[in-house]
Amino acid sequence: MQKDTYKETYKRLIRTRTKILFPLILLTVISYFSFIWIIAFNPKFFGTLIVGTKISIGILLGFFLILLIFIITFIYVYLANKKIEPLIKQIQKNV
Amino acid sequence: MYKLFFLLGVLLPSILMASTSEPKQNYMAIIMFTLFVGVTLFITYWASKRTQTASGFYTAGGNITGLQNGLAISGDFMSAASFLGISGLVYLSGFDGLIYSIGFLIGWPIILLLIAEPLRNLGKYSFADVVSFRLEQKPIRILAACGSLSTVILYLIAQMVGAGKLIEILFGLPYYSAVTIVGTLMISYVTFGGMLATTWVQIIKAVLLLFGATIIAFLVLYQFEFNIDQFFSEAVNTHDKGESIMAPGGLISDPISAISLGLALMFGTAGLPHILMRFFTVSDAVEARKSVVYATGFIGYFYILTFIIGFGAIVLVSNNPEYLNNSGTLIGNNNMAAIHLSHAVGGDILLGFISAVAFATILAVVSGLTLAGASAISHDLYANVFLKGLSDEKKEMKISKIATISLGILAIFLGIIFEKQNVAFMVGLAFAIAATTNFPILLLSIYWKNLTTKGAVIGGSAGLILVILLVILGPVVWVDIFNNDKAIFYYKYPALFSMTVTFFGIWFFSITDKSKGSIAEKKLFEGQYFRSQTGIGIEKSSSH
Repeated sequence: MQKDTYKETYKRLIRTRTKILFPLILLTVISYFSFIWIIAFNPKFFGTLIVGTKISIGILLGFFLILLIFIITFIYVYLANKKIEPLIKQIQKNV
Repeated sequence: MYKLFFLLGVLLPSILMASTSEPKQNYMAIIMFTLFVGVTLFITYWASKRTQTASGFYTAGGNITGLQNGLAISGDFMSAASFLGISGLVYLSGFDGLIYSIGFLIGWPIILLLIAEPLRNLGKYSFADVVSFRLEQKPIRILAACGSLSTVILYLIAQMVGAGKLIEILFGLPYYSAVTIVGTLMISYVTFGGMLATTWVQIIKAVLLLFGATIIAFLVLYQFEFNIDQFFSEAVNTHDKGESIMAPGGLISDPISAISLGLALMFGTAGLPHILMRFFTVSDAVEARKSVVYATGFIGYFYILTFIIGFGAIVLVSNNPEYLNNSGTLIGNNNMAAIHLSHAVGGDILLGFISAVAFATILAVVSGLTLAGASAISHDLYANVFLKGLSDEKKEMKISKIATISLGILAIFLGIIFEKQNVAFMVGLAFAIAATTNFPILLLSIYWKNLTTKGAVIGGSAGLILVILLVILGPVVWVDIFNNDKAIFYYKYPALFSMTVTFFGIWFFSITDKSKGSIAEKKLFEGQYFRSQTGIGIEKSSSH
């Protein structure tokens, strides 16, 4: 019985991993290229100061992007340890 | 051998001491530096006893933990070039420094999500192991080694020239001696201590640099009572360019350049051999994953610090005559902004500390690069191409040490040749090559079933040749270095074009490949993919 189930688990592993990876990759690529895009097409927008301060929107968003990059890696590792790792352990046991 | 280390430990600082022109100012730096060299040579001695096998030499036996590897990886990225270079760029034009910081950081989610775990599960010592897992060894190893070596050598030249100039300014040491000292220490770390020593040198330096940069940033913000708004408005008021330092400047001028630079930075990181190699030093995919989160956290934090340091230098250094030439520019050059700032906020003690850390940073980074280059020569070219995988481990170790020493001497030599050249473009070119050749063949070998040897070799080498050609014909080399009036290739950043050629070439020559070999290669994919996803079949780390 074990022999058959590891293939099922493997399929589930691939599905789970894709489900986690796809949105995160999309988020990474879209957020970065929008940032670069604005720099190329509309640099003035990034120079706009946030009302009442001397901090520009570009600098604020840049800092947010650094934070977002870290959060993306953190979310992936959290989900991988919680959802992917148990499946891998199960396959390793049954092969 | 112990005597040799002792000799190095005593000799180098005393040369430094003797040839330094302003000893008074630099006592702290020399003491700190001596301490660093002493400790790292001791670690090398300790590591040398644990580095008798090939796996010990290339991967520290796979015993590095996620946190340690995360620190070492962040150390590879926090080079003197990025610490001094980015804070210098921020000092010069504000916002633009952030474009580079984010570009260097964005590669990390890509590595984590697409590369890190399969890499760990399929490879042993180098990323070429992964690419040649089911493809033909010889042509693939040669291609991967060409990609690795050109990336490593370009990076090495940039680091060596930067090192020589920096040490010349910081310690008053002649350029040649500076480059020779860096080369000699690097050869000793890598030859005797292998990956274990290289990793620990990198970890110690990463901690010191994070600590030093934190202190500078803290002292800067302390002067403004941690009022960020007031801090930035002071910078805007002080800087010649005024409010425009808060907006993108001239770094990117058109959409093609924007995408092209973006691609090189985003995917280049995932093709840097000295970074990829670090994933073999941890025991399994779980630790590999962990190390990326730590690394991303440390690097991101570090870039925020360099940004504060750059702005801090605008406020506290740019109008202080103590740090300026008669013409009103920074003593040294713009890259000295962080160094001058450390003196402005922390006096001679902090200046000495930061100078020593900058020196240590260079040593650590060139060591990692040399090790990656040596493994491409000994593991990929010698053991797997020249001897077709039949070499015995002792012989491979010997070759890797000879390769290390040769690369070290080459680095010193190239550092001296390129002294007067502008080498800033070389890191950019290294990233472009990594993104154009190393990354696509690695990515597709992991995920694309129909990849064949023919496709990978033709696509990969076409991209490699094109990217080098486009940089030479582009504005950076053709106009700025060869002094021609007009560039033959208009764009500064070639990655968009060269990556397109690589991916198209790989795709086209793979799907049209109907040879027997290619059919066998496709059949092997299922098994490879299973192993890349589950880690079943990998060697356990050796325990000492």
